[in-house]
Amino acid sequence: MIHIACPSADPYYNLAFEEFVFQTFQEEDVFLLWRNRPCMVVGSYQNICRETRPARLRRKGIPVLRRISGGGAVYHDLGNVNYSCITAQDGPVDYDKSLAPVLDALNAIGVPAEKNRACDIAIGGKKISGSAQRAAGGRLLHHGTLLFDADLSALEEISVQGKNECVQTKGTMSAICPVTNIRRHLPGDMDVETFMERLLAQMVPEGRRRILTAEQDAAVCRLRDEKYRSWAWTWGRTPPFTYEKSGTFAGKEFFARYQAKQGIVSAVRVDCQAIDGLLAEGLLEGAKLDPDGFAAVCAQLAGDRSEELLDLLI
Amino acid sequence: MEKQLSLPRLRPEMTSGVLCAWLKAEGETVRAGEPVYEIETDKVVNQIEATEGGVLKKLLREEGDEVAAGEAVAILETE
Repeated sequence: MIHIACPSADPYYNLAFEEFVFQTFQEEDVFLLWRNRPCMVVGSYQNICRETRPARLRRKGIPVLRRISGGGAVYHDLGNVNYSCITAQDGPVDYDKSLAPVLDALNAIGVPAEKNRACDIAIGGKKISGSAQRAAGGRLLHHGTLLFDADLSALEEISVQGKNECVQTKGTMSAICPVTNIRRHLPGDMDVETFMERLLAQMVPEGRRRILTAEQDAAVCRLRDEKYRSWAWTWGRTPPFTYEKSGTFAGKEFFARYQAKQGIVSAVRVDCQAIDGLLAEGLLEGAKLDPDGFAAVCAQLAGDRSEELLDLLI
Repeated sequence: MEKQLSLPRLRPEMTSGVLCAWLKAEGETVRAGEPVYEIETDKVVNQIEATEGGVLKKLLREEGDEVAAGEAVAILETE
């Protein structure tokens, strides 16, 4: 097993880094440790509009990204440590086999962690780690989160209360679990950098640590720009769905319904005496599913009250 | 010759998976070893490769469908 250092906190770069290593390092087992600035990361086949509240995340300046593995939506911040294990795929899907080395390493540095459910790690029944996988071309990417010192109130607000019930769709649902931070359960305190260094020392010997070459780094940046920052990957891959919302806007009854397929909005109906419904329908019909685009439409329709309208529309 | 592509059982307990993406379109030619579709089960996205080459004659299931292990997802016309 080798380690490749990923010094960035940019989630777009980091997801590209991980995919690049997964595709490129075919001969060796690789272990990565990385952290993201606050962001929401959804599974490969999740509906962003159901699993997150796009309008709220946009206001908070928290980007939404799509990863290449399965599973549910996860809130990341710098108190959350991500690990990736890239290996040959031999035999059937087996989370126990992938989790065992990480569990052993956590136990060795004093974290009283145990396996929980199919692919979680917990302390005292509370989740500290979730994981997901991607298998392609004979290689396996197993990766997981490690809540070390994450902002659990932000996590709670964004992931637990962040479901959008007005979306009817296929796609993978996220599970909601009680969580805790590793740091609270350590015999002696340490900061997140020390935790990462000690975990790495357990997983990979000193002499097997590498960095990407400038050329490889340039390839990561291309993948970041062409895939992870693209609308097509993040929003265009949202499974088809029907959105339907009733409520109140500017004191008047409000109703909206639309469909979205491959991220393109159609069959729009907006009914509310406080806004020009026909104009709304005209602006949204054929539009891309995109919070910034929707915000511009809302500004045109509702001026000062655009955020209130945005909350009702996406 | 027509052959059915069926959803592989990726671990003994697997009963079904969600077909999340077709990587090839109906009518397209696929070579042996080329990825044809992706399924998700138990938080794993698996790229499924063609075991032999041919033309994807008909896609039997849509993206988003839950498919039982062993069930056919497409018909491949082999050379």
